[in-house]
Amino acid sequence: MSDGILRLSHAEVRVPDLELALAYYVEVVGLVETDRTADKAYLKGWDEHQHHSLILTDSPTYGLNGLGFKVMELTELDRLAARVEESGIEVTRHQPGELDLASGHIARFAAPSGHVVDLECGQEQVGNGLSLINPPPRPDDLRGIHPPRIDHIFLLCEDVDGTTSFFRDVLEFRLTEQIMADDGHQLATFLERTHSPHDIAFLTGPNGGFHHVAYWVDEWSDLKHAADTCAHHGVDIDAGPTRHGATRGCGLYFFDPAGNRNEVYTGGYWFDPDDEPTTWTESEMGRAVFCYRGQVDQRFMTVHS
Amino acid sequence: MGILRLSHVDITCPDLELAAAYYTQVMGLDISERTDDRIFLKCWDERDHHCLAIRHDTRVGMDRFAFKVEHADDLAHFESRIEAAGHPVQRISRGEEIGQGESIRFELTSGHEMELVADIEKVGGRLPLVNPPPMVDGLVGIAPPRIDHLLVHAEEVPAVARFFTEILNFRMTEQLLDGGGHQMIAFLERSAKPHDIAFVQGPNGALHHFSFWLDDWDHVRRAADILAYNGVTIDIGPTRHGITRGNTIYFFDPMGTRNEVFTGGYRPDPDFPTITWTDDEAGRAIFYYEGVVNERFATVHT
Repeated sequence: MSDGILRLSHAEVRVPDLELALAYYVEVVGLVETDRTADKAYLKGWDEHQHHSLILTDSPTYGLNGLGFKVMELTELDRLAARVEESGIEVTRHQPGELDLASGHIARFAAPSGHVVDLECGQEQVGNGLSLINPPPRPDDLRGIHPPRIDHIFLLCEDVDGTTSFFRDVLEFRLTEQIMADDGHQLATFLERTHSPHDIAFLTGPNGGFHHVAYWVDEWSDLKHAADTCAHHGVDIDAGPTRHGATRGCGLYFFDPAGNRNEVYTGGYWFDPDDEPTTWTESEMGRAVFCYRGQVDQRFMTVHS
Repeated sequence: MGILRLSHVDITCPDLELAAAYYTQVMGLDISERTDDRIFLKCWDERDHHCLAIRHDTRVGMDRFAFKVEHADDLAHFESRIEAAGHPVQRISRGEEIGQGESIRFELTSGHEMELVADIEKVGGRLPLVNPPPMVDGLVGIAPPRIDHLLVHAEEVPAVARFFTEILNFRMTEQLLDGGGHQMIAFLERSAKPHDIAFVQGPNGALHHFSFWLDDWDHVRRAADILAYNGVTIDIGPTRHGITRGNTIYFFDPMGTRNEVFTGGYRPDPDFPTITWTDDEAGRAIFYYEGVVNERFATVHT
């Protein structure tokens, strides 16, 4: 029915003040809270049918605990888990509900980049809040930025070449774009499973580093609304609204109260499996990241969690 | 594995010069190849040879539509499934058809010829593959980045929709049922969007419209400006659909074939539950703002 990894499913983010973070993600970002335990909150974009696309975990630090990709078939989960094991990486298997509320069958492993990756099949569906009979195009009680769904995640790692090979060769991602250093190694790579410019991207930096998680919005005017919303709530805007050279998408970056970077993103293009990737040279890296300014500011390159 | 997306639509018209002028200057497509009786066009961001082929003929109509499959061996897979379902399949070898490689063709119960194509000649998009700018300077007309979907008629929607879901592995995102529970409209997808093809009850073999993607609602407004400026007949819009939630404008090419440019919608996973519209809400299903379907939209097709 559907082969391999379908799409990015969720991210689990650490926050030192769960109440504050929850207030921000519900009131400002406009995600929907679907569940709550003593130390975790589960959130989703309003149009997502799955139980969660963001898990907030109470923790003394901020940063990323892990990320999950959705797989449609259990047989595909088994096949991909076997491929990861054959590559020499240990995989643990988990039953539905074992790791998280509403979680499905999970194969968990540490990617060569140092990030904990879950392949998940069968997370509980809770619906998007709209009727399945004669639905209006949107609910009328949306708050804040209210993106419909998660889009991609951007991570740091020491060896972008090696990590990219793992994601391509083992997890069957396709390379859409790369930023090449003058010495020929990959400074940054963009990888997809959904025919979009990226479901995940890697930038050279410390292993396990988390740059941002991005939610989709439908168009440029939604980024203006997002910037208005951030400014109104006193949220620290990192960059944008602006446009990327790589991915051609438009984005707005800002920080949650714990210091985790968020993005809302739109645009991009469709990528066929037989399309050739785009290459950026080191001298054009500024424009690859921020097309309008042509340079990357210090905070964007150095602040991560 | 399987069907990837809509590849191209092959239409006919009596005036190739007029068609070429309209589709390049108003719609803003690029001509990738031309023969004595055919023109092949593509959008600026498409890398494949064509998304629209126009053949000279005394009448306006559609020869066929084609979907792209992900792997060459998908063709053999579908060939046997389609033949087992009772449809004769014709093989088109590399070199037989301009701009494309190995393909199969078969007739649907809706009277349309459908094609599955494995490899299409890559002619490249308008952007370079090294340090590309995000846009092309000097695009003319509406200039959509790519084709999105098509909508065709069928006398028996349930039968052809079932063929698409059971044999071709499409997923049904939305449907409209009449008061007796009969399926009047079916929306079907392979590329995680509200539709790659839709069937609406009507005469077999007919084309209602084909549609190009735009990134933004504001681009739909700009399309309306361009159409009005060029004296193109606008059918309806800019407006919004209940079905698909998309934003849209419909208009006619100079020969009377309906075009659409479209944006918005949503991203259905394969486990997306089908949305059902009832007869009494049919107006809002088609045009969410107007709540009624205009006579021309309901009756004119090619």
